[in-house]
Amino acid sequence: MLSNTPGSPTLHSTAAMAVELTGITKRFGVFVANDGIDLAVRRGEIHAIIGENGAGKTTLMNILFGLLQPDEGSIQLNGEEIVIADPSVAIKAGLGMVHQHFKLVPSLSVADNVFLGMEIRRHGLIDHAAQVARTRELSKRFGLQVDPTERVGLLSVGIEQRIEILKVLVRGARTIILDEPTAVLTPQESRELFQTLRSFVAEGMTVIFISHHLEEVMEVSDTVTVLRNGKKVATRPTAELSKDELVHMMVGREVSFDRRPRASLHGDVVLEVKDLWARDDRLLPALRDASFTVRSGEVVGIAGVAGNGQTELAEVLSGLRPASHGMAWLKGQNLTALSPAAIREAGLAHVPGDRMVRGVDRNASISANILMGRQHRAPWSRGGVLNWNAIGQNAETLIKDFDIRARGPGDAVKRLSGGNIQKVVLAREFTNGADFLLIDQPTRGVDIGAQEAIHDEIMRQRAAGRAILLISVQLDELAALADRILVMFNGRIMGEVAGDDADEERIGMMMAGVAAPELAAETA
Amino acid sequence: MEILDRLVNVALIAATLRTTAPILLVALGGSFTTKAGIFNIGLEGQMLVGAFFAVLGSIWTGSALAGVACGVAAALVFALVFAVLVVSFKANEVVVGLALNILAGGMTISLMKAIFGTRGSIVGHGIVGLPKVQLPGARDLLGSWAPLISGFTPLVYVAFIAVPLLVLCYNRTRLGLYIRVVGEKPEAAEALGISITRVRYIASLLCGLLAGLAGAHLSLGYITMFTENMSSGRGFMAVAILIFSNGDPLKVLAGCLLFGFADAFSLRLQTFGYPSYLVLTVPYVVALVALFALSYRARPRVIAETLESMRKLLSVDKNAEPGGKSPS
Repeated sequence: MLSNTPGSPTLHSTAAMAVELTGITKRFGVFVANDGIDLAVRRGEIHAIIGENGAGKTTLMNILFGLLQPDEGSIQLNGEEIVIADPSVAIKAGLGMVHQHFKLVPSLSVADNVFLGMEIRRHGLIDHAAQVARTRELSKRFGLQVDPTERVGLLSVGIEQRIEILKVLVRGARTIILDEPTAVLTPQESRELFQTLRSFVAEGMTVIFISHHLEEVMEVSDTVTVLRNGKKVATRPTAELSKDELVHMMVGREVSFDRRPRASLHGDVVLEVKDLWARDDRLLPALRDASFTVRSGEVVGIAGVAGNGQTELAEVLSGLRPASHGMAWLKGQNLTALSPAAIREAGLAHVPGDRMVRGVDRNASISANILMGRQHRAPWSRGGVLNWNAIGQNAETLIKDFDIRARGPGDAVKRLSGGNIQKVVLAREFTNGADFLLIDQPTRGVDIGAQEAIHDEIMRQRAAGRAILLISVQLDELAALADRILVMFNGRIMGEVAGDDADEERIGMMMAGVAAPELAAETA
Repeated sequence: MEILDRLVNVALIAATLRTTAPILLVALGGSFTTKAGIFNIGLEGQMLVGAFFAVLGSIWTGSALAGVACGVAAALVFALVFAVLVVSFKANEVVVGLALNILAGGMTISLMKAIFGTRGSIVGHGIVGLPKVQLPGARDLLGSWAPLISGFTPLVYVAFIAVPLLVLCYNRTRLGLYIRVVGEKPEAAEALGISITRVRYIASLLCGLLAGLAGAHLSLGYITMFTENMSSGRGFMAVAILIFSNGDPLKVLAGCLLFGFADAFSLRLQTFGYPSYLVLTVPYVVALVALFALSYRARPRVIAETLESMRKLLSVDKNAEPGGKSPS
């Protein structure tokens, strides 16, 4: 499969290049993650790779680091062609990668973690003192403040990242790849990280960092490469670029605004959220001070790059995650004090973002999946005994109504396509009479035909007077369906855009963390 | 006070050390698998075959040492089977451990029947037990306290010396470090090119080695005979200790001493005419209380976090009482 692109490399340019990728293509099934990408990184520069989620940034870097093999294309390091079969080859060649998810051992000290796999030993025993001294020396030299003797389990995420960087340095890396390094950092920590990156460059090292955060790319990088949908858009010196141009290149012009026709039906407030805060699984604030309302007959969209608090918002509203502060009322009832079952009873229908985990039981039949959550009610059960006749008939009706492509109600859900599984979820959630629909990524991984059908169904629910909160990472979906779009960044609602004049550029700016004061009706 | 003096004295402490040794050996073996991230309930079976084959080896060769070697070899075979199934074939470790325990129980009984034609126990037949080690000078040094360090069979000393050796192993050797990493964060080990399979095999075999020694100690040191199911739950006790000590050698030692003391104490109580059924529950009651005390203290951090934020909520925002109904 691996074939090099024809044409000899241009020798005069490679001398100054630390990394040169040529024509890299990587497919996962029919999905093309990287499509003929060329990337040249000069030695001694900070090179940012920017693009939306799913643009192919991480895939490209994983290929460079040997974690993935390209289907086509070639890699040159310092002007020499190389096949990077696995990460150990990359490490030997002077590459180092700091991943998004840290791989540290909590019960070991900082120095032990840094030297894990290449321990300094004396008389066959690990020489902790030497490891601590060497770690201290490196951390001083590059301004990576850590206490080498402390246990990693007690440290913050920011410090964990410094340890990962130290690990890379100890292994002799001259080119350091960082995958979304600032995603887990506080602004102060980010600033310190940038200083460290500059000190690397000052020592003649090369830094490649992946980001979807405009501000920091403008602040720290020398050169920017923009990726979109697996293709390279451009590589430009940062100094020549404005933020507007960058957003332009990132988001592109291909957002389709095939807006659904609608009648204005502003009814009563069904959901009111006020000053809502929540923590993520690492107990860091993930949702910050969110306030908004959803009325009946209204679709409110939540836009944002994935991982900016949308998941936590959905989980708090459905009772799956405790709020750490603030309130949310569903028809006057305080959600934050209720269990998931009680919230559903109060009038919530939830189409979860990950349908295979929270949406369906993949081994159960369609009938059983549609039954879930209402099995204790007549006519589905009487006196604790299920009435499978009624359940089957109901499933059969819904299969027709929602156009679920299956052989029958007894079919196991795992045999269906992604789109049809999603329709099973919709069939269950949209028919239980709830006034508030929480819909998270309804068309993720769904083919275009099913997408249309799902959008039709959401509009039908709107026309029936439901209040709908639609969370999506796809701007065109929000633009087509939402009456108002709230944009989230870093757990905060950055601003609001009316669906009628949704402007992908303004939304894109807010998604990248640029506040829009004139629009920030909801931010305090 | 007089009763207390008769209950608690040098002999009781020496008895504690004796009852602690077999459980300590097997628990230290289990420490390797626990640290390597394997939940090994097969300790009981490994110990039992160790005890049986130690007796067999001692009869065949007429040497106690060769007997110990036989016991260890048998336990290693069991440990290897366990590792092949659990590590290589990724079978459920609880099922495999249980199966091997049952196999050990049945196998020793049928072999006993086949070889000695008896059921119940093997006594005599020329079993050579391990000699008691009388440390020279112990009596001069400690006087009446001498039984605390002298007069035990060799594997008692091995058990207690193994504790600091394991501490050293986990903290200062590469193998110990890798065992910990593989158990605690396998993805980190993988990313650094440490073979998880290899480390887990080594840990399983080290476990078999110590479990075999524990078994040999039971049948050649503790007493000189083999009886059906003579490990009598010590392997499971060790598993309980491992769960709440997380395999740390010093905590394992503390847990084993607690059990050993409860064991010795209950033996002592029986001589005072307390109902023996009640007295025999002492070690298990101690185990339950210890488990409860430890798990209560280790409540997850998240609960503390939630309590914290609730406190904040109640003190900062007066509207935010739980159950508040009306939207502002």
